[in-house]
Amino acid sequence: MPREIALGDALVPGLLVLFVLSILLLWLLDGLAGRFGFYRPVWHPPLFRLAVFVCVFGAFALFLL
Amino acid sequence: MSAADLSTSAPSTRRAIADALREEASVWLFVVKTLTAFFLAGWIAMRFALPAPGTAMLTTIIVANRQSGMVLAKSFYRAIGTMAGATVAIGIVAAFPQERDPFLLALSLWIGVCAGGATLYRNFKSYAFVLGGYTAAIVAIPVIDNPPGVFDSAWARISEVLLGLLVSGLVNDIIFPSRMRDVLRRAAREQFAQFVGFVRDSTGGVMARDTMEKAHLRFVRAAVTLEDLRSSVIFEDSEARARSSHLRLFNTRFMAASTSFQSLHHLINRLKAAHRDRAADTLIQLYAPIGDALDAPIEAGAAARVLLPRLVQARETMRGSTTTLAATLDDPLDRRDFETGASLLARFVDELHAYVDAAASLQTPRVVMGSTERVRFDRGNDFVGAGLATFRATVTMLVLGAFWIGTAWPLGSSAMLLATVFAGLFATTPNPTRVTWHVMLGYITGMTMAFICEFFVLTRVDGYGLLIAGVAPFLAVGLVLMMTPRFASYGLGWAMGMAYILALKNTQVFDPAHFINDAIAQAAGLGAAAVAFIVIPPAVGSAWLRRRQLARLRSQVALAAEAPLPGLRHRFESINHDLFSQVVAQTEPGSADSRALIAWALAVHETGRALIELRHDMSLRALPTTLRPYLDDALHTLARFYEKPDPASYLLARDAVATAIASIGEHDDVHYLLNHLHLVRMALLDGESVLAAYMPDVPLAREIVNAS
Repeated sequence: MPREIALGDALVPGLLVLFVLSILLLWLLDGLAGRFGFYRPVWHPPLFRLAVFVCVFGAFALFLL
Repeated sequence: MSAADLSTSAPSTRRAIADALREEASVWLFVVKTLTAFFLAGWIAMRFALPAPGTAMLTTIIVANRQSGMVLAKSFYRAIGTMAGATVAIGIVAAFPQERDPFLLALSLWIGVCAGGATLYRNFKSYAFVLGGYTAAIVAIPVIDNPPGVFDSAWARISEVLLGLLVSGLVNDIIFPSRMRDVLRRAAREQFAQFVGFVRDSTGGVMARDTMEKAHLRFVRAAVTLEDLRSSVIFEDSEARARSSHLRLFNTRFMAASTSFQSLHHLINRLKAAHRDRAADTLIQLYAPIGDALDAPIEAGAAARVLLPRLVQARETMRGSTTTLAATLDDPLDRRDFETGASLLARFVDELHAYVDAAASLQTPRVVMGSTERVRFDRGNDFVGAGLATFRATVTMLVLGAFWIGTAWPLGSSAMLLATVFAGLFATTPNPTRVTWHVMLGYITGMTMAFICEFFVLTRVDGYGLLIAGVAPFLAVGLVLMMTPRFASYGLGWAMGMAYILALKNTQVFDPAHFINDAIAQAAGLGAAAVAFIVIPPAVGSAWLRRRQLARLRSQVALAAEAPLPGLRHRFESINHDLFSQVVAQTEPGSADSRALIAWALAVHETGRALIELRHDMSLRALPTTLRPYLDDALHTLARFYEKPDPASYLLARDAVATAIASIGEHDDVHYLLNHLHLVRMALLDGESVLAAYMPDVPLAREIVNAS
């Protein structure tokens, strides 16, 4: 994983880019889950959401770069 | 004391204690959550070696709220505002790196524009504007001597604020979240039960004008509360977000139904007042099936579905009985008024049906995409008030900037920053002078506490754990005060002042002289903001603004008469409700102002709705060219009368409406327009309404009795 990514000549930490990407993905998943009622069987939706975020972020860091 | 007494009093005492404990528990839960977020954000910021961990910590205090949804909503808008402010700051510094005068002027203007923009929005959207303003100042002012540093300054600010938001969002969302979704659900259910119950109970017919006005006021409040709740809940719950537009639809339909209902009752009241009991009683008789249809347990959600077929049934019954009942009336005037009422009633039943339908599907587990129409909820804004806020913020900044330059005050930037922050933060509160004063007292106390904490406690401790132990007790007092209604602003000032002046960082600097100088500068900045509120008084709550809002409310009739028709009904309803609730919130209940306002709002509502329906029906079919000019003239004169009411234009409007009615009588096939015009005419001739002041001294006795 590159430590820094150059965005228009400004060096940005690679982790930050991944972080933002995973937040966007989480937002999408969250919206879908809300629309189709997937959160109904979940005991603690925010905790579940955080767990999903950790999975997404971890997977990005491990597999994507 | 007897045994019976004991057994009855003991549970109530126990309940009182339990209630008190529950209340206390929620306060302490808030304190614990806020402290957790505060120190967690600080710890992460220090691990990341951000230049000012204090900013991340302060952020957690600024967004702190008992409700998780509020924290998330405020965080969202704070993030947007911070981004915008940082961008502008870079632009301003890049434009004037060497020139301090245009630099301060540009900065002051930007802050002013943001303060003005904030008054145009409710909720936390206005907060985003405030943030945009003062973030620019926070980013740009410290680098005024070192322009190339602005990019780093902007980045530092953004990362610190976002980190603080992230941490407090997570903490509030996960540790014992207190959900506003339940409040929203309860509010929607209550609104439904109250309104439908009210409709059912008032089928008896006559209702005092007073009761009607009070009920209307309650319904308006309910609609606005629901809209405010909805705008915050969408941040905490993705299910609520998916259902958001449906909820808007529910609210819009509620507004439409409540207006028609109120028009109907005014009509019946007017007929009663003119001793036209036969027409009134026949109308009440026609209305009875609705009461029967609603005679079922009233509950929003799937349970409301049982009401739908019953309402359809009632509509059919009423449609059938309209002609038979009309036939029993032998006076043509009675029949005419009865038909007007019947068409109003038909409209009301349709709207009630739509409302119940929306309520019934509020909780369906799955929301199908695009199934509900998009609904806009317009607000009634006042641009002159916004201009005033812009002017105040700009002038405050310029005066402080000039003072800073003139005296070469080393800590002038501190004063300027604080003045910006507070002039913006409190510009939208109803009584900013008092609030700023309280916050200032709290702020000074907080800084004093910070002094004790920093120089007598923190100097003796080492490590983050002991830092928490040293700071938490001082901060907790302020947070508890924040939760008591009387000292809320005092507590906010306390917590903010303490977090801001402590400015915890990795290598803490202990410099009492600098601390005291900074504290004086910050207090001076706060004082400047308070003085600015006194010198240029806020528009909110002043008689001047109230007059303007009333004029705006009246001009709604012109909107109904002249604006483009598509979507006009929703636009009219929502602007009306917003204006009405704004002024209601700013007037004393029962005062002359408030009574005048309610009277006007009712007149505007009734006439406006009738005009919209009239124009809607006019657009359905091509009208004879001999008729159209009269109708247009009636619309036009009515609009002018409501924009600028006086006896002369009242007469013009009244005659124009009468002429239009007469000319409809001369044409065939256009009688469907008649009912709306009769409604407008009756509202115009109502001797009890607010329009009575513009009626000629010698009323045309026969006319009024006939039409009312």
